Amino acid sequence: MNALFCSKPAHIVVAVLFLLAFLFFPWVANNYLLRIGTTMLMYSALALSWNFIGGFAGYPSFATAAFFGLGAYVGGILQNKGIPAPLAWLLAGLLVTIFAVVIGRIILHLKGHYFAIASLVIGDVLREIINGMTSLTGGGMGLNLAAQKMGVTEQAQFFYFSMLTVAGLALVTTVLLDRSRLGFGLRCIEQNEDAAVRIGINTDRFKTAAFMLSSTFVGMAGAVYVSWTGYIDPGEAFEVLISVKPIVMTLLGGAGTILGPVYGAFLFLLLEETVWRNFLNIHSGILGLLVVLLILFLPRGILNTNLWSVVEAHARVLRTYFRLLPRFQGINLWAWVVRIIRNIRHQS
Amino acid sequence: MLSLQILINGILLGGLYSCIAVGFSLVWGVLNIINILHGSMIVLGAYAAFFAYSQLGIHPFAFIPIAGLSLFILGYGLQAKIINRVMGAPVLITLTLTFGLNLILDNMMMVAFKADYRKIILDPPLGLLELGSLLIPIDRLYAMVLALGLVGCLYAILRATQIGRAIVAVRMDRDAAALMGVKVKQIYAVTFATGAFMAGAAGCLMSVIFPISPLTSNAFLGKAFVVCVLGGLGSMPGVILGGILLGLLESFGTLWLGPDFSTTIAFVVLLTLLMFRPTGLLGKRGFE
Amino acid sequence: MRTQIKNLLRHALQGLMLTTAVVSTSVIAQESVLVGAPLPLTGPLSPEGTKLQRGYDLWVEEVNKAGGIAVGNKKLPVKIIYYDYQSNTPKAVQLAEKLVIDDKVNFLFSPFGSGATKAASAVSEKYGVPTLAPTASSVEVYDRGYKNLFGTFTPNDSLTEPLADLVKSGAPEVKRVAILSRNDLYPLALGQDFEKSAKKRGIEVVYFDKYPIGALDHASAITQIRSSKPDWIVVTGYINDLILIRKQLGDQKVRPVVLTMINGPVYQEFIDATGPLSNNVTTATWWHPAARYTSQDLFKSSENYTKLFKAKYKDDPDFTNATGSAVGVLLQLAIERAGSLDRDKVRASLAAGNFKTFFGPLSFSPEGYANSYIPPIIQVQNGRSAVLYPKAIKSGDFRLGLD
Repeated sequence: MNALFCSKPAHIVVAVLFLLAFLFFPWVANNYLLRIGTTMLMYSALALSWNFIGGFAGYPSFATAAFFGLGAYVGGILQNKGIPAPLAWLLAGLLVTIFAVVIGRIILHLKGHYFAIASLVIGDVLREIINGMTSLTGGGMGLNLAAQKMGVTEQAQFFYFSMLTVAGLALVTTVLLDRSRLGFGLRCIEQNEDAAVRIGINTDRFKTAAFMLSSTFVGMAGAVYVSWTGYIDPGEAFEVLISVKPIVMTLLGGAGTILGPVYGAFLFLLLEETVWRNFLNIHSGILGLLVVLLILFLPRGILNTNLWSVVEAHARVLRTYFRLLPRFQGINLWAWVVRIIRNIRHQS
Repeated sequence: MLSLQILINGILLGGLYSCIAVGFSLVWGVLNIINILHGSMIVLGAYAAFFAYSQLGIHPFAFIPIAGLSLFILGYGLQAKIINRVMGAPVLITLTLTFGLNLILDNMMMVAFKADYRKIILDPPLGLLELGSLLIPIDRLYAMVLALGLVGCLYAILRATQIGRAIVAVRMDRDAAALMGVKVKQIYAVTFATGAFMAGAAGCLMSVIFPISPLTSNAFLGKAFVVCVLGGLGSMPGVILGGILLGLLESFGTLWLGPDFSTTIAFVVLLTLLMFRPTGLLGKRGFE
Repeated sequence: MRTQIKNLLRHALQGLMLTTAVVSTSVIAQESVLVGAPLPLTGPLSPEGTKLQRGYDLWVEEVNKAGGIAVGNKKLPVKIIYYDYQSNTPKAVQLAEKLVIDDKVNFLFSPFGSGATKAASAVSEKYGVPTLAPTASSVEVYDRGYKNLFGTFTPNDSLTEPLADLVKSGAPEVKRVAILSRNDLYPLALGQDFEKSAKKRGIEVVYFDKYPIGALDHASAITQIRSSKPDWIVVTGYINDLILIRKQLGDQKVRPVVLTMINGPVYQEFIDATGPLSNNVTTATWWHPAARYTSQDLFKSSENYTKLFKAKYKDDPDFTNATGSAVGVLLQLAIERAGSLDRDKVRASLAAGNFKTFFGPLSFSPEGYANSYIPPIIQVQNGRSAVLYPKAIKSGDFRLGLD
């Protein structure tokens, strides 16, 4: 399933190529592409983080927006008080993690829809509180950061690498988790929580750990984000799409896998950018359509689905359809197609 | 006197909230689906009522059956063709599906109606009911009464008609109901369609009271959520109780903490309830 | 094996798409004046974004019909590059930067509203791009000492002071005022300025509170207002809030001597949605079709502007449309006076002020906001807007009380 770090040398080569591509990207791309790249890395970090609680543990958390917004505000306020940016980002991550532990105490005993709603509401409550603390956060007027002193290109590269670091840390954590007892335990919880309790897994502790992990990098990403754009206000910091998009991305790529969230983030943003450029008025509708198609035809995500079997299943349907048409009976092309596809499937 | 007026405000508001939430609660309780489309369906019903009134002169209260029926058909189609395919899938799948469908519907409405706010102004206006120094706007009063009436009708249907009993049976135990000869898929479609009907009806009532635009759909959805959790799923009296409770919380919250914290109070109560009694005040256990 | 192929295919696809993206952002040679305009064309602010765009488009059409902007001794056509920032402020900031770096625009028009204008002004200052702000009135927007931002709106107190004067002189029995503001940058700042203006004239502020964005009900806030017995009520917010609040004020028979709402009543949409309840509501705005300015710009006068707008769009222009066109003519006049597209020269030309436009005479404070004209006070009378102040364009008398 997770082919990346198996012993096959081919995979390691591919992984190294990936890494080099990411590292050298800033030198071949202009600032706008760099910005897209930074956004893609940010969403990768968010999706990878959600994967801990939503993919591994199977708890549909909508708290990503809450963590992101909190991280952004903490990071922004600290920087305005003179703390250098990287330190502010780390502190933001730390504070958000502590917050996650406290909140986890309160809501992790819920399941399914209730957990989803509770995690969503956390973000709303945080937003209202921050909106009210006008003297500290600027309230509805937003928080402004002093403009950066760096040159244009240096700034774009600096933030690209910062986000790359956050996303990289999230990815490394995912790999470590996947091979650890914690990861195993979370997968047990996802399959059947009662059974997991019975075989001796401390579900409370494991769930809290997953929830914590799902918050740290999100908080850091939020802090980097506010430094990057120089402005944040409660409405945008806690926007519900910040919770929803990583979920869709992870579902697209394959929940519970290592690279699924990254692929999903990449693909989703690519689609979004293309759609936004070309279909200004209806881009949200088209995005909705893509989500619906994803759920109906690819519910387990790209990495979790044997794509050829999906294609074969649809080809089979067409084959049956054409069998019913008398004039195609002698030459059933679709039967051939199905045969070819089946051969490909069984070879690989 | 002030408190009494605020009490009345809260109850009237609560009736409206119940109306918004009843379709949502039905779908969630029976199908275990959080229907993100609900807010947009209310707005669609409201637009239908608006155009019916401004172009054809049909009174919005009289238009309720027509709006409800159109949304019934829409809901039936959606459930039968699309959502039925993912019944039984994990929570996240169905949630994301309805989210995607909602994006499509919302965008279509934006393109069709633009984001301008519309509101029905009844001519002649319904006026006010004055009891001493207490003021009760009659349009809200009618809306509340109609809302309660609709909820009551639904309750009666669920108890008394065959299809209603089938819906309750499916909610209690899907497999047993199937064994009893209930066509479960069809019942799902009917339930979702009924939820849509209620959304359309609510929309007609809302169009008289609130300015409507595709941008308001999320606000309605948010209230529906809170009402369902407060009152409990799978229970019509629960919806009414939840709605009125929310209305009272917001009204008195405004009095005690100021208007900017009235919505926060609702969320805090919601969270507290989720912590200690997730099934709500009158909800039945079993669905998560 | 399959995973490898999948990976390679995926990256090939990505590479292809990125290359297409790079190639498609082609550089336009300097045969025209390029202006960047990030707008909220989708999302909650889309009505306002669309209005601004109409204003911009009318100006571009008229300018290019006349051959373009006179830069030195040649005329260059104008092209505005639009991007939709989906009502999301951080995206507006990034798009502003994209316009400067990738699309290489000469000048910028700010995004909609005080918050986004302030956020994007950091980009303008970083790159030294003169930026015209069509919709930023709060002084907080201009408090960073930036040199590149010029706004067509006079500050919020230019709305509140004349209104307070009008109430003081036209309705001397008014002693108590209640203020209800939306908890948002501009409406709240406006509410605070109203508080100051009222207190200055000895009017007691008996209630001042804010309602959350997205509030669906104001009945209880209004009940409290009612119990504090104000003679004057001021409400700030966006059009949907004001429509709802006006209705609920009626529901509780709250009938102060003066009711002021900003910004809704200037829009026909408000009058349509509130019907008879809109009568006698006062408001103030930065420009109105009843204005009577003569100008050096290509519209020649306010009346001519209104005529041209109506011919193109079949509607009367409101102040958002007008300010969109205003930043256009302002830029044009500044470039023509500077005689070049050089950013420093144009900036100096803008700072010097003294432009006679159809929107009003425009000169700027050192911080960058306009301080050269008086925004008219409007009252809705029988479904039509009547101008109460300034005297030069007055078209109706101040009416007291609500029905």
